Amino acid sequence: MVTSASAPAQTGIDARRLGQIERSDTLAVRNSRLAIGEIIAVRIRRFDDSGGAAAYQDFQVPYQKWMRVLDVLNWVTENKATDLAYRWCCGSKMCGTCAVRMNGREVLACWEAAEPVMTIEPLRNLPVIRDLIVDRTPYESKVASLEPWLERREPYPQFPEPLNHKQMKDASKALDCISCMCCYSACPVIGLGDLTDFAGPAPLVQLGQTALDPRNDPGKVTRSLALTGIFNCVSCYKCEEVCPAGIPIVSRVIEPLKAKAAQLVPGMAKHSFVLRDIVAARGRVDPGALVLRVQGLRALANMPRVIRLLLRGKINPWKTLFRIKTAASAAAGRILGAGVAK
Amino acid sequence: MKTITTDVVIVGGGAAGCYAALNLNRSGIRTLIICKGLVGKSGASLFAGNLVISGRLLGNTAENASNTAEFLIKYHNQFLIDQNWARRCGQWIESTYYPELEEAGLYFRRNDAGEVVTSPGKIRSVAANTQGNSGVPFMDLRRKQVIRAGIPRLEETVVTALLRKSDGAVGGVFCLNIITGETVVVVARAVIMATGYSDRLHKRSTGTREMSADGIAMAWRVGATLVNMEMQWWHTNDIADPPSWQRMQVYPNPMLGSEKSARMVNSAGEEFFNQQQDDPLAFGPYTVQLKALAKQVRAGKARYEGGYYAGFDHCDAAEVDAYTTYGKTYRQLGLRFPEQLVETAVTSHYRQGGIDVDTETMRSSVPGLYVAGGVGGHSNGLIALATYDGKVVADGVARDLPALGGGALVEQEVEAESRRIESLRNSSGSGPTPLKMKERVRALMWDKSGVEKSETGMRSALDEIERIRLDLLPGMRIANSGKSANYEWLDAIDVVNMVDACELIIHSSLERKESRGPFFRQDFPLTDNANWLAANVLKKSGNGMKFERRKYDLPIFRPDFTTKDNLEVAW
Repeated sequence: MVTSASAPAQTGIDARRLGQIERSDTLAVRNSRLAIGEIIAVRIRRFDDSGGAAAYQDFQVPYQKWMRVLDVLNWVTENKATDLAYRWCCGSKMCGTCAVRMNGREVLACWEAAEPVMTIEPLRNLPVIRDLIVDRTPYESKVASLEPWLERREPYPQFPEPLNHKQMKDASKALDCISCMCCYSACPVIGLGDLTDFAGPAPLVQLGQTALDPRNDPGKVTRSLALTGIFNCVSCYKCEEVCPAGIPIVSRVIEPLKAKAAQLVPGMAKHSFVLRDIVAARGRVDPGALVLRVQGLRALANMPRVIRLLLRGKINPWKTLFRIKTAASAAAGRILGAGVAK
Repeated sequence: MKTITTDVVIVGGGAAGCYAALNLNRSGIRTLIICKGLVGKSGASLFAGNLVISGRLLGNTAENASNTAEFLIKYHNQFLIDQNWARRCGQWIESTYYPELEEAGLYFRRNDAGEVVTSPGKIRSVAANTQGNSGVPFMDLRRKQVIRAGIPRLEETVVTALLRKSDGAVGGVFCLNIITGETVVVVARAVIMATGYSDRLHKRSTGTREMSADGIAMAWRVGATLVNMEMQWWHTNDIADPPSWQRMQVYPNPMLGSEKSARMVNSAGEEFFNQQQDDPLAFGPYTVQLKALAKQVRAGKARYEGGYYAGFDHCDAAEVDAYTTYGKTYRQLGLRFPEQLVETAVTSHYRQGGIDVDTETMRSSVPGLYVAGGVGGHSNGLIALATYDGKVVADGVARDLPALGGGALVEQEVEAESRRIESLRNSSGSGPTPLKMKERVRALMWDKSGVEKSETGMRSALDEIERIRLDLLPGMRIANSGKSANYEWLDAIDVVNMVDACELIIHSSLERKESRGPFFRQDFPLTDNANWLAANVLKKSGNGMKFERRKYDLPIFRPDFTTKDNLEVAW
């Protein structure tokens, strides 16, 4: 009555699932790929603090109906490696504590279907404590430092206060966040470590819950946004791709927050404004002009790099200094308008 | 060993514990929260699907308000509730709870026109952001309020024992940080037990991983009186398999913005329950569903472990998706939504009973030990009620604090607990692993003290518990004796609590010689208001136990019959 042997018809392709469709990697397919009792080959990364290096351990796990990654881990713990350490509380996509990497992508163990061959590893970008357990502290401190709460400018009137869903539509998406840190692990900018001051996607979603709420004091939002390094986000959409809660992190949280930051803390958006100006004026990106206008003469301090860029034709001082009118620059100017940079 | 001194220590980081901490902290009382999981991310509070409206809020009529109270007292608690407490609680929810939550920023779901979206019908409810997921933003808000207030937390830390002073009063706790393996003694003038419901004692259970009736077991060991331990709530609409899916519920409540609710179908494809049609007063229809299912089971058209189905195939997907998360399970399973139904089964849910309290102050029978939320025996269910407890306990503790002296803990108790915890880490017997022991306890509870109980089954369950306690617990074996993130060690600590709590539950179940609400005795099928409209009070006496019966006041609602077949009683 319940299971269907073949995958149900796909109704409308969700953009963030692109790629999965072509690879026949949808959840429905995964749920029907394995027969009950078939053996899953599972490789789990083990690590403890006793001084040894991390190592992978292999297990053969019999598939159960609708088996999830968490069921696989539970089976291993019950039957093979009783000392395997992994964190989980609710088992139903609410607490957000069981995220791991499965075959190189971040998943919630309690939610993702098991695959025929799977490698399970801890999340990236956080210290590993033991096996699949990461230290949540760096993430939690980052979130707390952004003070992601409401400060009202006006006194609270009475329940229910005037508010509609249109005003809350982005914040409402952010409120689906369960702090599982999948996006934090997947984010390539966070992967750069201390090279940037980027807060990361998950802390931004946490901030977005109140920063995108019209009831919040703009002064408070300004102070929080100033700490986010938000313009280091390269909009690669990795965070959206892995979010188990299906939050459109870039389009509905980070982009609206960037717009707010550009308005409330314009200094943060200097790079973006300059880029826009240059494209509007020249019809193309001019890396030389971009670096010079963002960094000033500091850009020349690293002479070897400047020479390398010159030799490889990445920058052209002639074009940077003497702007040449082209059809492209005229079109870009028409589309973008000129002189937006402050 | 590290020692921390504070005024009040709260065991548990759910709705009750967080709210108690925020209130105490606001009064300038030093408060520490110890949470076995993560504050606001573990325990039962996270699962609040929607939030019921009391009183005259949001256009509630006088009839709506009265229905809500009637539902709480009859359907939720089968009259085993202090009705005066319920009245105070309802007034507080209306005057304080909703405004305070909204002021702090909780988003009660609006439509585009700005109206708060409610479920229609005899009893109305709202959702925080999305129905089915309200507990997530609710508890996330609490977590942030606790962080913002600077209230210290010991997270992923299990309290293993209540510690007493020489006068017998509770004056601290012994705890173990699960991640570091470090043990800590916390000295406090008052301890608030807010560990939530004792879920996960049955093979099929709701609740989060860490729930193992710790609060009940620890309170009992220091002599706290318990009440109505036999009264266990069941879900009937949880996904049948695999095991990790059993916490996914097909919510049977009224839907926001719709006249419809989920329907249940037996193995022959016949519909046998649909809340909005069958009993509009059963807002949280768990017991009504269970009774409907019991009749199907007796007719051979369903089993408690499956063989019946639930879903929304009579609804439009858009109608369900507008304000609820109810479609998420179906889609994740690859089922067509809403056309396909999913096989469901019974799961043990909250326990109505727990530690006996004075509902004016939330004092337990042991000086220094206070209680809030699901671990208490005074009521059942609903995140608003647990929150109200947080307020009452904070007021009660603040009032009593000047009289609760400091005083040193009994040194031998601390040392004995330290040795006990260490020896569990070094469990090197030839018996089963702690996890297998947990499974065994849960299987025994399901098979012999499950939905339908009888004296024969429960006596044999007690024999088995005795065997587990004497033969198996001392011989447990764990593979890793390391300290860091050692969940085998934690399981060993848990299973000792589970065994004690299960024994108390079975004894209490034997004592109540009737059937009432979700408590089905095959050998006593009648609901007996003449003898059992009473609290089943369990007291420690020496090394044993004794039962007493305490009548409830019935100032608002009272049952309209003396005895009746429980399956024929609506609630």
